[in-house]
Amino acid sequence: MSENAAYRIKELEAKAAQLRFHIVDMVYRAQSGHCGGSLSAADIVAALYFEVMNIDASNPGWSERDRFVLSKGHACPVQYGALAMKGFFPLEELGTLRKLHSRLQGHPVAGKLPGIEVTSGSLGVGFCEAIGLALDAKLRKGGWHVWALLGDGELNEGAVWEAAQAGAKFGLDNITAIVDQNGLQNDGYCQDIMPSGSIAGKFRSFGWETVEIDGHDMAAVVNALRQAAGAGGQPTCIVAKTVKGKGVSFMENKREWHGKAPNEAEYARATLELKGGRQ
Amino acid sequence: MTLSAAPMPTRKACSLRMVERGQKSDFAVFESDIGYSTYSYLFGEKYPERYFNFGIAEVSTMAAAAGMASSGRTVVICGYGVFLTMRALEIARSFVCYPKLDVKILSSHGGVTAAIDGVTHQATEDIAFMTTLPNMKVLCPCDTVSAGAMFDLAMATPGPVFVRLMRDPLFELYGKEAEFRLGGSSIARKGRDITIAAYGDMVFEALATADSLSGKGVEAEVMDLYSIKPLDMPGLLASIERTGALLVVENHQSRNGLGAFIGDSLARAGVRVPYDHIGLEETFAESGDYRGVLETYGLCSSHIEAVCRRLFAAKSDSR
Repeated sequence: MSENAAYRIKELEAKAAQLRFHIVDMVYRAQSGHCGGSLSAADIVAALYFEVMNIDASNPGWSERDRFVLSKGHACPVQYGALAMKGFFPLEELGTLRKLHSRLQGHPVAGKLPGIEVTSGSLGVGFCEAIGLALDAKLRKGGWHVWALLGDGELNEGAVWEAAQAGAKFGLDNITAIVDQNGLQNDGYCQDIMPSGSIAGKFRSFGWETVEIDGHDMAAVVNALRQAAGAGGQPTCIVAKTVKGKGVSFMENKREWHGKAPNEAEYARATLELKGGRQ
Repeated sequence: MTLSAAPMPTRKACSLRMVERGQKSDFAVFESDIGYSTYSYLFGEKYPERYFNFGIAEVSTMAAAAGMASSGRTVVICGYGVFLTMRALEIARSFVCYPKLDVKILSSHGGVTAAIDGVTHQATEDIAFMTTLPNMKVLCPCDTVSAGAMFDLAMATPGPVFVRLMRDPLFELYGKEAEFRLGGSSIARKGRDITIAAYGDMVFEALATADSLSGKGVEAEVMDLYSIKPLDMPGLLASIERTGALLVVENHQSRNGLGAFIGDSLARAGVRVPYDHIGLEETFAESGDYRGVLETYGLCSSHIEAVCRRLFAAKSDSR
């Protein structure tokens, strides 16, 4: 890696750390929301928003923009944080998460907040919607890319596999699915609740190009995303191994931090860790 | 009233109009492997680049339609009512109706018009589900002309629209010059003694009833409520004003159907006239020939006539 590239990776890691702070901060202020799956996806989302995706915060409706779909919609704090950091709306608005009349709904709602492409949050559905976006891009002969971020628990949903077969059938090389494989879902370890077997193997058998990476290795994340965007003929699935709650020691790999807000003491401890740059 | 036999079912008539309109409009058509039944394959033959068959997968078909419509392109989704309005109901609700997307649902086999196929293929709760969804508009043609017109109306109406279609051809009611509008209705037969309001195939049962009653000194007015939501309440009230009694007949569950909605609306408006509605009463239907099933479950002119006579008598008693 060149010195410049190494420096850029450091910058992106700093963005991810900042994003993690916003996640914990907004969920604390809302006293509701999903920390665990937002934190696990923070590196992937930071790489997408600050390095890979072709987007313009000053023109959210720009027709040539890349489209991002948060199929694991409950992790919207990670997307809201990235959008605010990117300048799609003021950072202060993050404090309105889940509050009455806020544009930051409990799960992403299209049309309310700039930068949200489709309404999502019912697991399995966002991925299908992303297939529709990619089909439309093909009809328009558009050069933009569609990115769908899924959870590994979400793969329990049959609709995911309906979408997977459609992505391959229609030759959608303009879509990339990223599975945030943090190994936990609401009720426990994915392995116990409903084992997925080989996620990459499944997607491969459905006709997708697959890549397996460490979802917290920023250089690997950026590299995989870049390669996926340039793939030809078939869609790509990136299976990113992650840690749920990543960045906050007491939230890491803990089921109960799937959908819980920190109390005051936990908030103080979490933000101290995140500000200290602990990754 | 002599009606000519329809040359095709409404599901086909609607699809034919869709093919015609595909020429000048860039909408896409989504199908879930019953294209030869919904006749959407005709669109696929003409516009293969805008025809997407997702296989037997109604949930992803509806959700991908939401995705494409989010990009500003209208999507017409074709299928059977039972799958579109139940298996994919949550998608229609949260991802089509909530964001008010231009997804037009052409839903065949409405009511027991798919009688022969049995309960799994009879959409007898579709109107309840679809009319309950905020932002959803609901239309139901009864013949070839109105089926084509409902397609145009669906496309001209912003946001989600559900069009209920039938499996088999029945009769022709409208001439080519007929006009339809969202929130409109049509008086299929004028009468002074009771209003029978219906939609889809039941319009013809109502007309047969009116014929029979006419020979017995009761002149029934028959209204075709092709725009189920929004409903032509002013038109309906004007008819009741003239006739003083109302019977709603529908090929649907009686509970939470259009009849129940109209009864509720009348009560809320303080309109008190002899009133009833006919539909499936807390029951599923069964396989069988179309007429046989209608007669078994009371969705036929003999039953409609009996209820009409009761309402007519009640009207006379109250005067």
